[in-house]
Amino acid sequence: MSQIELIDIAKIYPVGDLNITAVNSVSLKVEKGDFLSIVGHSGSGKTTLISIVGGIIKPTSGKVLFDGTDICVLSDEKLSEYRNGKIGFMFQFSSLLPILTAKENVLLPCLFGSGKESDNGKKAEEYLEMVGIGDKINAYPSQLSGGQQRRVAIARALMNDPGVILADEPTGDLDEETEAEIMGLFKKLNKEKHITFVLITHSLELAGQAQRHLRMSRGSLTEI
Amino acid sequence: MTNFNFITVALRNLKRKPFRTGVLVFSIALLVSLLIFASSFVVNVSSSLKKASDRLGADLIVIPVGASRYAEAFLLESKNAAPYYMEKNVIDKLKKVKGIESLTYQTYLSTIAGVCCDVEATQIVAFDQDSDFIVKPWLKKAIGRELKKGEAIAGYETNFNLGVELLDVEATLFNNKFKVVGVLEKTGTGLDNALFMTEEDLRGIISGGNSPLKEEKLSIIFTKVKKGFDPYKVGRDVEGNILEVDVVARNDMGKEILNTLKDINKIFLMSIIMASLLSILLVWAIFSAIANERSREVGIMRAIGAKKSHVVRLFIFEIFILGVVGSLIGIAAGTSLSMSLAKGFTLIKNVSAGLTLMQHTGIAFMGFIVGTFICILGALVPINRIKKLEPLLAIKEG
Repeated sequence: MSQIELIDIAKIYPVGDLNITAVNSVSLKVEKGDFLSIVGHSGSGKTTLISIVGGIIKPTSGKVLFDGTDICVLSDEKLSEYRNGKIGFMFQFSSLLPILTAKENVLLPCLFGSGKESDNGKKAEEYLEMVGIGDKINAYPSQLSGGQQRRVAIARALMNDPGVILADEPTGDLDEETEAEIMGLFKKLNKEKHITFVLITHSLELAGQAQRHLRMSRGSLTEI
Repeated sequence: MTNFNFITVALRNLKRKPFRTGVLVFSIALLVSLLIFASSFVVNVSSSLKKASDRLGADLIVIPVGASRYAEAFLLESKNAAPYYMEKNVIDKLKKVKGIESLTYQTYLSTIAGVCCDVEATQIVAFDQDSDFIVKPWLKKAIGRELKKGEAIAGYETNFNLGVELLDVEATLFNNKFKVVGVLEKTGTGLDNALFMTEEDLRGIISGGNSPLKEEKLSIIFTKVKKGFDPYKVGRDVEGNILEVDVVARNDMGKEILNTLKDINKIFLMSIIMASLLSILLVWAIFSAIANERSREVGIMRAIGAKKSHVVRLFIFEIFILGVVGSLIGIAAGTSLSMSLAKGFTLIKNVSAGLTLMQHTGIAFMGFIVGTFICILGALVPINRIKKLEPLLAIKEG
């Protein structure tokens, strides 16, 4: 059984009298520990596809199986639990809450989880240490550089020990050096913790560092 | 172990825009203080009137025709009015009315003629010690015995009005020497502003020609109605049989003031409703703006696993803290305002016996509930809107 299986997924947005097809009949199998990259032009449906996998939006048709369970039929509450426990998100912008410190931002998923583990604080500090900003745990996002903010976002994505990290252009606005560092972290986590990575990027160079390469074009996905 | 929770996030959000938070807190505090002030005023006056009429201990008050206003002014509002009199034979007529259990009478003289120089007007009340049930209970508490000839006792406020410590002072009243033997406890009625002497001493003053008052006159009769009789019916019988008197039932005492109070209450109520609507609108407008500002953050929170109930909880905590802080400030401001301004209102000055701790607590609790509820009510629509945000759309558009 694959960790993620997309079966004939389609997503159509009604815009006025028109129906815009963002994802068109996509089927895909992802195994645990895979490192996938998806490239494609803007508006090709990459973000929509990753959002469907992450349970942020529901497809118009098709099935998304995660460990054999169809997440498309889950209630809003169960989908939230799925996102909280199984998926780690990284967005194409700084997604930290400005009012919270780095450590508190990392702890945020725990606030929405069901577990009341007493060592969450320690765990958050360890993750921040692991991503290389252990000295910034009490810093607010405004006091951090773009690269440091992404590291906090990685630590946050890891906090609930997800099986999959969905990263939507996580290094889009970072310099090459920082981009390489972030990518190095992803590969390390993939190798050491067997976390599945689905990486969306414009950069072919970055995409080339993944194990599997896919291209999204006009809503359709092809393996390259 | 970490103290990171929903309240932490709510507090941080409130600190994010201190001025905006301050405006919201201030508006709720204003509303609650208005509510506290108005409620304190109304409850104070109405409960004081009720208390005063209850403490008098009479079911019916019989006074000369047309004098009921003056009697109420003295007994409830502690105002000294021109003396009013009726013939003593009214007592005999009254005793014949069915349903009268017991009665006692008092005679009011004009104001005091001098313990010393400039003193406040103080009513002198002569009472019949044999039949009395109005002053006696207080007298017993104060000195433990009846008044003797040549003795007087001061009402609670009289002590202050006269500006001297009255105990054992030799007072000259209508050219008769009196020894003030004590001060009565606070009754919360007009009796607090009187100086009491016995009927026997009054007769001495009259026979000595030191007062224009004639014998066989009295000012007021307090009556108790037998058990099982309707005081209103007995009162109507009294007025029907004795044409020269008016009767006021205990429950009707201060009716005029209460009617005025009802109008004041309406004005307060309208002001509070308008202030509440304004506060609701303000909370709604500010929380709508907050909802727009934070839609991306909410989208991110939803993406990392926040349920709709978590989003609601986060905003409810925020508005609840605002409501609680605003209400508490409002309670403090309203209470101190009502206390400091109380003396500036004639109605309160004359009538009020002050609020009990229980009443203060009750009014404060009501203020707290209303303030907090209004906050939550105003924020409900924006919170409901933000909880329904589609996460991806919120992240993209935020």
